[in-house]
Amino acid sequence: MTQVTTFSPSTVEEVHAAVADTRASHPRLLVTGAGTASEWGAPAEPADAVIDTTSLTGVLKYAPSDLTIAVRAGTPFTTVQETLRGAGQRVALDAARARRGATVGGLLATADAGPLRTTFGSLRDLVIGTTVVLGDGTVARSGGHVIKNVAGYDLAKLFHGSLGTLGVVAEVVLRLHPLPQAVGTVAIEAEAAEAFDLAGKVVMTGLEASALEWSGGRLLVKLEGTPEGVEQRERELCRLGGTTARVLTDEEADAAWTGVAAIADGVRGTTVVRIGTMPAGGPVLVARLVAEGAAVTSSMAIGVHTVQLTGGDHDELLTQFHQEFGAAVTVLRRDGLSAGRAWGPPPAPVRVMQAIKRQFDPAGRFGAGRFSLWLEEEERAS
Amino acid sequence: MPQRLHAEFVEAVGADAVVSDPVALRSYECDGLTGFRVVPSLVLVPATAEAVAAAVRVCAKHDVPFVARGAGSGLSGGALPVADGVVISLQRLRSVVEIDVVNRRAIVEPGVTNVDISRAAAPYGLYFAPDPSSQQVCTIGGNVAENSGGAHCLKYGFTVHHIHSAEVVLPDGSTTVLGGDSPQLGGYDLLGAFIGSEGTLGIATRITVKLLAKPVAVKTLVADFPSVEQAGDTVSAVIEAGIVPAAVEMMDALAIEAVESAVDAGYSRDAAAALVVELDGPQAEVDAQFAQVKQLCEEFGTTKLRIPASAEERALVWKGRKAAFAAVGRISPNYFVQDGVVPRTQLATALTRISELAAEAGLRVANVFHAGDGNLHPLVLYSEAAGEHEPAEALSRAIAELCVDLGGSLSGEHGIGTDKACSMPRQFGEDDLATMARLRHAYDPSGICNPGKLLPTPRLCGERPGVYKPHPLEAAGLIERM
Repeated sequence: MTQVTTFSPSTVEEVHAAVADTRASHPRLLVTGAGTASEWGAPAEPADAVIDTTSLTGVLKYAPSDLTIAVRAGTPFTTVQETLRGAGQRVALDAARARRGATVGGLLATADAGPLRTTFGSLRDLVIGTTVVLGDGTVARSGGHVIKNVAGYDLAKLFHGSLGTLGVVAEVVLRLHPLPQAVGTVAIEAEAAEAFDLAGKVVMTGLEASALEWSGGRLLVKLEGTPEGVEQRERELCRLGGTTARVLTDEEADAAWTGVAAIADGVRGTTVVRIGTMPAGGPVLVARLVAEGAAVTSSMAIGVHTVQLTGGDHDELLTQFHQEFGAAVTVLRRDGLSAGRAWGPPPAPVRVMQAIKRQFDPAGRFGAGRFSLWLEEEERAS
Repeated sequence: MPQRLHAEFVEAVGADAVVSDPVALRSYECDGLTGFRVVPSLVLVPATAEAVAAAVRVCAKHDVPFVARGAGSGLSGGALPVADGVVISLQRLRSVVEIDVVNRRAIVEPGVTNVDISRAAAPYGLYFAPDPSSQQVCTIGGNVAENSGGAHCLKYGFTVHHIHSAEVVLPDGSTTVLGGDSPQLGGYDLLGAFIGSEGTLGIATRITVKLLAKPVAVKTLVADFPSVEQAGDTVSAVIEAGIVPAAVEMMDALAIEAVESAVDAGYSRDAAAALVVELDGPQAEVDAQFAQVKQLCEEFGTTKLRIPASAEERALVWKGRKAAFAAVGRISPNYFVQDGVVPRTQLATALTRISELAAEAGLRVANVFHAGDGNLHPLVLYSEAAGEHEPAEALSRAIAELCVDLGGSLSGEHGIGTDKACSMPRQFGEDDLATMARLRHAYDPSGICNPGKLLPTPRLCGERPGVYKPHPLEAAGLIERM
């Protein structure tokens, strides 16, 4: 095996050079960030060179009054948050991987998010502009620096969840939200089905919970806002939640949310899978998983479930998930799976996905293997 | 159109769904941007999603360009027909298929109006959040095509944030589904890229929209200011205080005059600027932040604070605001609406430059804007009869390009369409546009799906895409821009 070259560009120009100048010498490229999601999807095939984005860092422009920040894509997400905190702002995203150093570009490429997705979505909903570098060296910008903008196609959407298969995300512009003055968490003991009903009630009561996460036999409700507002909503929520509802202390809340993140993190020897369902389909799935001994954290109001399986071989269970939930199943960690097991049947518009891949990366330079057969079926057939 | 082709369309959608009468065809010659008109060869009004797909298959087979059309209320010429093509109207696909209360979503056909979704959801305490001013007539299919916003998108986001999935007829006539039951779906975000693609990637035939619970508390105020700058500074102060209002709208004196002439919504005719701030959410949050907003208005020199005492009075405030475009018709025979966006901190600079440009052109500009997100709607007033069309169009374009120069965008919600396609090189480089064209090509390799919109074309803008200049034949009235 030949030595794999690593390029560590620190600017978009250097990304361009690393991609454009290596077309002949290093045709197949693997884009990496902090490496916190290297197991997501199917394993990447060996590449001729790695584009390591961890030097591609720095804030390009921060406009607090416009609620926007532009950063290089290799910037660790927590660094961005630290920059914003001083001005009382944040990117409203709480993906577990951020704690382990995940980069902004990596979070976009993996479509990752945490419990706040219930209210704020994922980076798809928070990125307002990107600069990407394609396999032929083309540097393309879309979106811009304003939150409201419909000029042109929104290329950032294509890169959301692309797992490095379309090109290198070099720069990202994000929309910001104010940091809430006060945050509170109410925990309500409930089985999954009960928690689902309760989550629905919380939504319909207009309490504007920013996260509604069921995990470990209780529903965690995050409230953010003004000190007086949060306090009143906590009281209302405790009335709604019944006798087991309780406002957590700051330490308890931290521990609870860290526990939720730990499920998505996984540890050596675990398999972690994220599954999307209709919200109402959550309770049955969750109950079944809990019976299997899985650790589950479930964004009840939107039907996103992160599942950690311990010990043994989970191929069979993954096959079941694929049969039931199709492309809504993503593998995040794969210690208990056979090599190559990752994706189930492709999503309905897989032909469009393939057409986009062909248009953006006709030479097939980026991330071979990541989507397994999804991107390759047609080539094999033809 | 050749007889055989006509017959194939009849077979695809049924004879009753084919409009070929020249007089009837004329009613499809433009959308809300009436300056551009092209009579299509044929209009199809299919009654089912299957018929839409069948019609597109005929188009694909014979390379006939097609343009999807909802209510035709778009303001950028996105639904402008193509002369040798067909228009596929979605007006007959207008049923609300299902309101799923438990999962808080609705399945609707594309011809359902924006407001009818909220109407159907209302008995369950739910509503559809995007609220473009045209919501009484505009359709959800059009909202998806344009990624429509509205006054309340400051807090709630745009159409793209409120769609779970869409059944889409692709330009080859095949049908697929973009998006899914939850936001967790492997692969590229194809739904996200489709929303806001201005009808150039396919036709949505069934859409699953997100419904939100109605907020418990809503509080609105109208604050008059002696200058537009003071009103703008107030908005900055509100945002900097960490408040995200549901909506922040501003109108200048000329816009207020127009609105009051038309609707009598109680805005002060003597104010240089009126700010409408609306907060919604849990009662305690709204109470706390509303007090803060009132205080900031006073600190920044409001001359009058009006707080609607009832839902009806609030509705009147909004009726006035949402009627602003149409109301301008009361004070000017003709007008152009612009839709540029500037970083909000550039608001004062933008307004100063707009008034300078207006003075240079000898025309009046009324300003209505979504002040919270810097989305301007300058209304360029002119008289066709007085021969002011051309200078007004030039002024309108100069304003949009000014927004780009200030670090903003050509369009915040109306879309690029036909209107601003030739200005795109002002905002994006050649490689940016070429990359966007790759996306389009992936969906529509033969270029039959709403051609000529969104991206500049040599035919439209000259061999080298550049700032649009009318062709001499066009200037002489011998050809039409399409």
